Amino acid sequence: MWYKNIMNLLRTIKISRKQLSAHKVRTALALLGIVVGVSAVIIMISIGTGAQREVLSKIEEMGTNLIIVNAAEVQRSPGRMQARGTVTTLTVQDAEVVEREIPYVITAVPVQSRRMQVRSGNLTSSVLVVGTTPAFQDVRNFRVQAGSFFDEHDDIAMRRVAVIGAGVYRSLFGGQNMIGETIRIGNVPFEIIGVMESKGVDLDGVDQDDQIFIPIRTALRRVFNLSYINNIYVQAQHQNVMDVAAERIREILRERHRLIAQDRPDDFTIHPQLELLDAQRETTDTFTMLIGSIAGVSLFVGGIGILAIMLISVRERVNEIGLRMAVGARRKDVLTQFLLEASMLSLGGGIAGIVFGIAGSIVVGIATAWATSVSVYSVLLAFVFSVAIGLFFGVYPARKASLLDPIEALRSE
Amino acid sequence: MNNKLIEAINISKIYGRGVDTSVTALDNVSLEIHEGEFIAIMGASGSGKSTLMNILGCLDKPTGGTLIQDNVEVSKLGDEELAAVRNKKIGFVFQSFNLLARTNALENVELPLLYSDRSNITDLAQKALDSVGLSDRMHHLPNELSGGQQQRVAIARALVNDPEIVFADEPTGNLDSRSGMEIMSLLQKLNAQGRTIVVVTHEKDIAQYAGRIIQITDGKITSDKKNINKISAEETMATMTETEAAHENR
Repeated sequence: MWYKNIMNLLRTIKISRKQLSAHKVRTALALLGIVVGVSAVIIMISIGTGAQREVLSKIEEMGTNLIIVNAAEVQRSPGRMQARGTVTTLTVQDAEVVEREIPYVITAVPVQSRRMQVRSGNLTSSVLVVGTTPAFQDVRNFRVQAGSFFDEHDDIAMRRVAVIGAGVYRSLFGGQNMIGETIRIGNVPFEIIGVMESKGVDLDGVDQDDQIFIPIRTALRRVFNLSYINNIYVQAQHQNVMDVAAERIREILRERHRLIAQDRPDDFTIHPQLELLDAQRETTDTFTMLIGSIAGVSLFVGGIGILAIMLISVRERVNEIGLRMAVGARRKDVLTQFLLEASMLSLGGGIAGIVFGIAGSIVVGIATAWATSVSVYSVLLAFVFSVAIGLFFGVYPARKASLLDPIEALRSE
Repeated sequence: MNNKLIEAINISKIYGRGVDTSVTALDNVSLEIHEGEFIAIMGASGSGKSTLMNILGCLDKPTGGTLIQDNVEVSKLGDEELAAVRNKKIGFVFQSFNLLARTNALENVELPLLYSDRSNITDLAQKALDSVGLSDRMHHLPNELSGGQQQRVAIARALVNDPEIVFADEPTGNLDSRSGMEIMSLLQKLNAQGRTIVVVTHEKDIAQYAGRIIQITDGKITSDKKNINKISAEETMATMTETEAAHENR
């Protein structure tokens, strides 16, 4: 019996389709709202998903259990208008103490970096020179593709060894083998011992391939001539201990920087990576709400289109409705038929919208540098929504059709 | 006498309410329809003949009186049950054919079966089209068929569910006289096979092909007689051919 019902439903759909396709242009125009709405939503979501995925992958690349300690910017006071850069209180020793004293901390990596002129043969380039420790590789999840990274002995001995970024490798060496070659940072000659893998731009917009890594002690003493650092990358044991770890770091640094006694403000800032994740989540939520409201408005407009076309259709097919009733259609059969037609129409619009949306996402992805990603979820959502819209806005016309008086309906031309 | 199919007792139909505004379309009409009859309901427009057909065909409900069909008091049934009665026991043929456009003959004939619980839908529809002599036009659209052929598709649609009775409302009204005769001839043939047929018409000429003529005037049956001068539509067609030939020779 159910099998027969489905067969009859299919036959009804077949006939309905013929009646609906009689006015192709009119129907297409009425469906425009749904098509535009659905495709806009799919494109927006694909841009949003792409952007979110990119940010998330960058955050995850750096590890979600990373805490970044930055040296504070120098306070500008009327007497020292020229002062720039960071305070000079954060040191390599701070990093060592943090790593040693706090049980939740796996490693603490000191970093000091400066943009400098780097020369190889007769080629010169301005490159970010990063002084750090070997653990940097683990903390930032950043590996060498050839040769090796420097080790602790290189650092302690303040050897002049350098690991260059993939971008530097390309621009200064043009892809030639250069392990063992000499590169001049400032005027100091360094031996190249490794090349980093290619990594692209990080969250702050820094090209991570356009960097040269040297041991922190070598950097401070021989290149920068500084005694302080500007960041410490701290790797916590687990996401759950981030807050405790951050609090302990703060206590230790305040104590070491002698800020407690004079009750002075922190001369550093602490950013757990999770904060970034939360911020990202917040942006995503806002974006989702924005898309949601756009979707709501456009689908409502699309629904009105369905409503209009179905009302016209019912009016034009009064005679057909009368005939169907005369040959035995019950009111609920007529209701079902017109509801089905309305949802078929809006599903048609929805499918067109999905096609345009996917095509649009690809075009946007090619035309701009944005990474777009069409999510299955958004396609399903569009699908379900368009059927629901058809059903919702089809109720009134379908009800109108089902309540027609068969005799009156048969008499109309 | 054959089985009683329909019995109408004191049927009345009043449109509107109130003394001044109400119109009496049917006034205490009683009649019986037996299996195998070919009845013509005759009357001028506004006489109430269409209202009577609609009520007998379960499309409309009487305001008063009792209508019994197959021992069931259909005048007491609700919308949904009436739809089922129309679907199973009654076939309709209309003046303007009422075929679905852009839908071929076969699918048009299948339509009543979509609301029934029969399975072999296409088979039944093919047989019905066969019985009206249109098996070679099954896949034609209505606008590819002549008026007479369209009405034959409509008759096939009325027959497809094997109804007890077929109501035809001015079936020849939109046709030229020759096609009209073809339709009357077809209805006579179906009647000869045992099908009960009721034709509603305002034309005396058409009524002459029925076996019983019921005259309605102002909502009342004014005459209900066996037609002793029943004519064969086939013979009329033969004469028409002769006349046409004569016209051409002139």
